[in-house]
Amino acid sequence: MLQIKNLEAGYGKVQVLHGISMEVPKGKVVTLIGSNGAGKTTTMRAVSGMIKASAGEISLSGKRIDGLESFTIAKLGLAHSPEGRRVFATMTVTDNLILGAFPRLTGSRPKGDVASDLERAMELFPRLKERRDQLAGTLSGGEQQMLAMARAVMLNPEIVLLDEPSMGLAPILVEEVFRIIEDLKARGVTMLLVEQFAAAALKVADYGYVLENGRISVHGPAAQLRDDPAVKAAYLGGGH
Amino acid sequence: MKRNSLIAGVIGIAILAAVPLFTGNPYYIHMIGTIMIYAILLFGLDIVVGYTGQVSLGHSGLFGVGSYTAGVLFLKMGLPLWAIIPASIFVTAGFGALLALPALRVTGPYLAMVTLAFGTILQILINEMDFLTEGPLGIKIPKPSLAGVQFDEHGFYWLVLSLMVLSLVVVDRVLKSQLGRAFEALRGSPVASDCMGVSVYRYKVYAFVISAGFAGLAGCLYAYSEQYISPNTYNFELTVLFLLAVIMGGRKSRVGSLLGAAIIVILPKLLDDLEMFRVVASVLAVLMVVGGAIAVSRKMTTPRAMALPVVGTIALAGFSFWLQSITDWRLSIFGLMILFVVYYLQDGIVGFVRNLFVRKGSRSTRAVVRAAGEHADAIMNASRTGGGDDLLAAQGVLMQFGGLKAINNVDITVKRGTIHGLIGPNGSGKSTMMNVLTGIYVPTAGNIVFAGRSVVGRTSSDIALSGIARTFQNVQLFGEMTALQNVQVGLHHTFKSNFVDIALHSPRYNREESASVERGLGLIEFVGLADLANEEARNLPYGKQRLLEIARALALDPQLLLLDEPAAGLTAPDIKELITIIRKIRDHGITVILIEHHMDVVMGVCDNVSVLDFGQKIAEGKPAEVQANEKVIEAYLGGTAA
Repeated sequence: MLQIKNLEAGYGKVQVLHGISMEVPKGKVVTLIGSNGAGKTTTMRAVSGMIKASAGEISLSGKRIDGLESFTIAKLGLAHSPEGRRVFATMTVTDNLILGAFPRLTGSRPKGDVASDLERAMELFPRLKERRDQLAGTLSGGEQQMLAMARAVMLNPEIVLLDEPSMGLAPILVEEVFRIIEDLKARGVTMLLVEQFAAAALKVADYGYVLENGRISVHGPAAQLRDDPAVKAAYLGGGH
Repeated sequence: MKRNSLIAGVIGIAILAAVPLFTGNPYYIHMIGTIMIYAILLFGLDIVVGYTGQVSLGHSGLFGVGSYTAGVLFLKMGLPLWAIIPASIFVTAGFGALLALPALRVTGPYLAMVTLAFGTILQILINEMDFLTEGPLGIKIPKPSLAGVQFDEHGFYWLVLSLMVLSLVVVDRVLKSQLGRAFEALRGSPVASDCMGVSVYRYKVYAFVISAGFAGLAGCLYAYSEQYISPNTYNFELTVLFLLAVIMGGRKSRVGSLLGAAIIVILPKLLDDLEMFRVVASVLAVLMVVGGAIAVSRKMTTPRAMALPVVGTIALAGFSFWLQSITDWRLSIFGLMILFVVYYLQDGIVGFVRNLFVRKGSRSTRAVVRAAGEHADAIMNASRTGGGDDLLAAQGVLMQFGGLKAINNVDITVKRGTIHGLIGPNGSGKSTMMNVLTGIYVPTAGNIVFAGRSVVGRTSSDIALSGIARTFQNVQLFGEMTALQNVQVGLHHTFKSNFVDIALHSPRYNREESASVERGLGLIEFVGLADLANEEARNLPYGKQRLLEIARALALDPQLLLLDEPAAGLTAPDIKELITIIRKIRDHGITVILIEHHMDVVMGVCDNVSVLDFGQKIAEGKPAEVQANEKVIEAYLGGTAA
């Protein structure tokens, strides 16, 4: 589904990624693990076209997407739920979700049944249903996080990039988020997941890559990484 | 780098100074003089537009005030030059304040409209008040004399040059001082500026007043340079030209202002003459082709992206040779060129050139060299002024948004020197509580007493200066500033020096500035970011941005530090480090309120914990007690947590 070859990217004069290669097969969940500044978010941004790759190739279903604009990539079926709650603050929850389906409404993607998908997204996140007519900017941080995730799913995407979906959520909601990811996985949604709770991420994922200083140091089936003593010591820690 | 630009500057000034010796042609001398006069105004305008990010369409009006102050004082009172120059500066700065005080209450398009109206009113007033300004007739002013020496064309040129250089030095010093940092900070994040004790409104007004002062100086010199002033000069078109000059030359750059001034003066003149236009169009086309080729070969852009500008400039050159007469086309061509620059060079000419040369270089590792241990006390111990054992007491706090009670009758007491946890489900009112404590919201009812004084109704910056510092749930750093500069904004309260100190680099200013660098680096080192001190904040990874926010908050020398989800987005090893940092902060006597969802952090460091749910306090006590509380488990912790 998603293939990355020797990707290099960065911000201005600072290079963050030094040639990483990875693959997300259709219907699988792949997680990207690494410490702060290793380049996880940068990888996500390069894939969705928010920053331009300086070298390397990215392809989606066999089609090169590096160098394309973000909105074109979204039309091809890649949804990005960005880090740090980027919601449309002055619009209602419902409108935020409908905007997530924008390419479907304009005919760039198969339309399907937007209204019923909207209901389904609300079922997935009951909290959003309660607040459907509220302005997104007045939601609490955690609710905005859920909204960003639900909005990504509204694209009916081929693949979803989830960047820190559990950040800033109460413990009870963290469980909820992972339950939702399981749910999406069961429905066959392909996902690339970045999570601070690496242990939980490896539990739900099929395959994992470990990023260190902009390079991939280890990769393998998730179960195998979970038992890797080096990975355990560096990233899994005690908690959760 | 710094030395090179100094040398380049000295050479540039020497060349400018030598111009009258090589050409006796008064036309060129007058033209370069006008460029320098405009540059003085643009240095000032750039403070407002480039640094604080406000738009002013009132600067031609202010320019006019400067000119007419000079004109009227000369005509009615016959004052000498040495009195007229400062008078123009101060009168115009006064008008700047008159504009800024009401206008800066609004932002964005509203501000643009208000300043536009102000500029227009000034022009009309000058026109109508003929008892003072001679109205549409205008005022004639001879070239000035100083200390008995009558300035001729050359003498006046050198006077303008020296005042331009002086302005450049002063503006540069202001922008590199705590004032400049405050201006940039309020653009980067207004809410964070206020919470660092830098009042956004007050510093916007300062920026405007300083900017108006330079407009006044420029206006005064312009009056002497033209030797005749009339109201029509100071119209809307001039104001737009000034803005364009800043944008085309390049924001946040003195060289950019000079370039912009040169463009708006020279370009219309070049278009007066067909031969001249052909030369300009050809040179532009050649530059564009060469530049495009370099850019494509260095893989900075694709051939497709370069195609349009290259073809466009070549077509313009072809067009110039086809033209028989230019008079009809002048304005259209001028407009097209401006459109082109604004569209393709969004960072202005200076920004474009800068990108061309410093792109993709190796990461600048200006290593911060300092001996270990010399800054053992980057963090001040909290003072124990005011209040008893309870540093903070909130009573019956109610915060209502429309029908929604975000905080409903909450009492919280925080003991001095402790770490107090605040937990609860998302949307339970924790961040709202932070915003109430720091003055961003004024509570609907209830009282909050901090160190013996109520905080209700006081401004954010006032509360910050009285000792409450905070970090933000969604990081609020000043993105375009370096890590060190961010922390220095937090240290703004340590500066006592004023505008004069800054302009003269007085010993007091130098002492304060180097002290702030020293302490800033110490604080950055304390949170473990020493090797990133000179990196722009927006380039730091998320987790490190959170640590930088803590360093910046500590710079306020707070008694109470509010941390809003410091561990969000951190991985397990980083969290261990964060716990150590929070404990060290408490060891300096600083009281901490901690909002956090990571139970290992909350349980690991907190002395007391309060739990909110739907805006109400549902539990309070020692961490272990709270963790075992049925209500808390049901509402917040869930089955498997910690």
